[in-house]
Amino acid sequence: MARQPEDKAAAKFSKDDGALIRELALLLDETGLTEIEIERAGLRVRVARNISIAAAMPANFAPAASALATTASAAPEADLSQHPGAVPSPMVGTAYWAPEPGAKPFIEVGAKVSVGQTLLIIEAMKTMNQIPSPRAGTVTQILVEDGQPVEFGEPLVIIE
Amino acid sequence: MFDKILIANRGEIALRVLRACKELGIATVAVHSTADADAMHVRLADESVCIGPPPAKDSYLNVPALLAACEITGADAVHPGYGFLSENARFAEILADHNLQFIGPKAAHIRLMGDKIEAKKTAKKLGIPVVPGSDGAVAPDENAMAIAKALGFPLLVKAAAGGGGRGMKVAQAAEDLALALSTAAHEAKSAFGDASVYLEKYLQKPRHIEIQVLGDGRGGAIHLGERDCSLQRRHQKVWEEGPSPALDAAARSTIGLTVAKAMQAIKYLGVGTVEFLYEDGEFYFIEMNTRIQVEHPVTEMITDIDLVLEQIRIAAGGDLPVTQDEVVISGHSIECRINAENPVTFRPSPGRIQQYHPPGGLGVRIDSAVYQGYVIPPYYDSLVGKLIVHGKTRQECLMRLRRALDEMVVDGIETTLPLFRALVREPDIIDGDYHIHWLEQYLAGQPS
Repeated sequence: MARQPEDKAAAKFSKDDGALIRELALLLDETGLTEIEIERAGLRVRVARNISIAAAMPANFAPAASALATTASAAPEADLSQHPGAVPSPMVGTAYWAPEPGAKPFIEVGAKVSVGQTLLIIEAMKTMNQIPSPRAGTVTQILVEDGQPVEFGEPLVIIE
Repeated sequence: MFDKILIANRGEIALRVLRACKELGIATVAVHSTADADAMHVRLADESVCIGPPPAKDSYLNVPALLAACEITGADAVHPGYGFLSENARFAEILADHNLQFIGPKAAHIRLMGDKIEAKKTAKKLGIPVVPGSDGAVAPDENAMAIAKALGFPLLVKAAAGGGGRGMKVAQAAEDLALALSTAAHEAKSAFGDASVYLEKYLQKPRHIEIQVLGDGRGGAIHLGERDCSLQRRHQKVWEEGPSPALDAAARSTIGLTVAKAMQAIKYLGVGTVEFLYEDGEFYFIEMNTRIQVEHPVTEMITDIDLVLEQIRIAAGGDLPVTQDEVVISGHSIECRINAENPVTFRPSPGRIQQYHPPGGLGVRIDSAVYQGYVIPPYYDSLVGKLIVHGKTRQECLMRLRRALDEMVVDGIETTLPLFRALVREPDIIDGDYHIHWLEQYLAGQPS
């Protein structure tokens, strides 16, 4: 998927560093990692099992951190893009679930779709592109969030 | 200064641009086709976006995909590298329409120099000496013969929309003209979409000498000396060096200042290279390239100026890094373009690099995106990397190059390293005594 600046979740907590650290600590437990390090404009935080360290530092690029972040998210991704039911994105843009804000999403998990039925919209530069289903089947997974940037080839939904 | 630059290219130049961005503290976005997902610059960039399948027209030339990638990443500038869209005036304009900065010259200058007939007219107007030729496009009719006879044979028929060594046919004598004209026009139409051709005198044994320029877009411009790129195979440069073994300080200064004054007059923005054929002490303008060039490291090594960094600084509104008087050409530099090709047949050799060991040491630079285990994709150019060496004198440079070439290991694919190991031992090369036909004559004389 389009590799994002280190931690997308952290961006929501830009005003509250304490909440950021709490979030990271939870992530640590959920994922079983021993250490998580993230960095964004002017702040780098490392959370390690049993110790919490918050260090404010000038932004210093840490290649190890990005390799870690990518590997953590890449593994399940790679599986899904190889999934026989995966529908890959034919373009770069922003994925939306519904034809317009507030409207009902085109599909939901469990829905039965036919060939050519619109699954999502991908918007690029103000043009809306309907993404048709390549086959008939059932939507078993929706892999992108509403408003998520997507790249070419990124798996959007699984239709089995 | 820009916050985030999208690198609209691949391979070694994308890595080169990425390095400059990092040194300026600018965030980087690497866009890539599915074939380049494991590219070194993609790994090192802050963000990456896959923009399409392998074919260039669906990825690196795909303007909507590039714009969408800018949109979703919030990039505020695009560096086009070389090739691909780097000299596409329309792309520069589209970026401007979307409030994105194109890191390159003004669209008007890209357009001006992209039309080789107009470029020549402009050069003439600006006082730059040109190759004697037809005054504009030539129609394949009776007039052509009259013009040709006035110029004198042998002649070169060149495509107006060509450039980079493509779209040229030689007419040795009058009886060859009609065929050369029709073939050139036909090829030009299919390769460039424009059948317009013009005539130029064919110089017998010229050297290819080009001048690097840098302009701030406000009338300030300097030259950074020359590069001698005479060693070419099928019009593709193979070995470049600077300073040219053929020029002395006076000749360099004269042509350099002529070119710099011309760039000041048109208020050129960014980097550019003005290319000449040089024979019997005379310079003849052939074309101008409005982009960073493959062989830019040669100039960087002898002037100690980071050209890509300056491109970015200048595009962001910055000033020239030095005045003309402050430019110092120091020592000698040679670049070898190492391709994934058989060194004798030049057949492309894509595939996995099993062993890779780049040379090192004082004065040795490798601009390459490959690494051990990297698979060279078959869809793009075959450049493995550029080996650039610097020495205090040309002699020291040649010894260093010989040493570095002997150290370098690229196994698993065929490369042109053996060719360079042979060239660096050739008497004519050691003497700096060569011209634009030298390499092909040398290759023709080799056992196959």
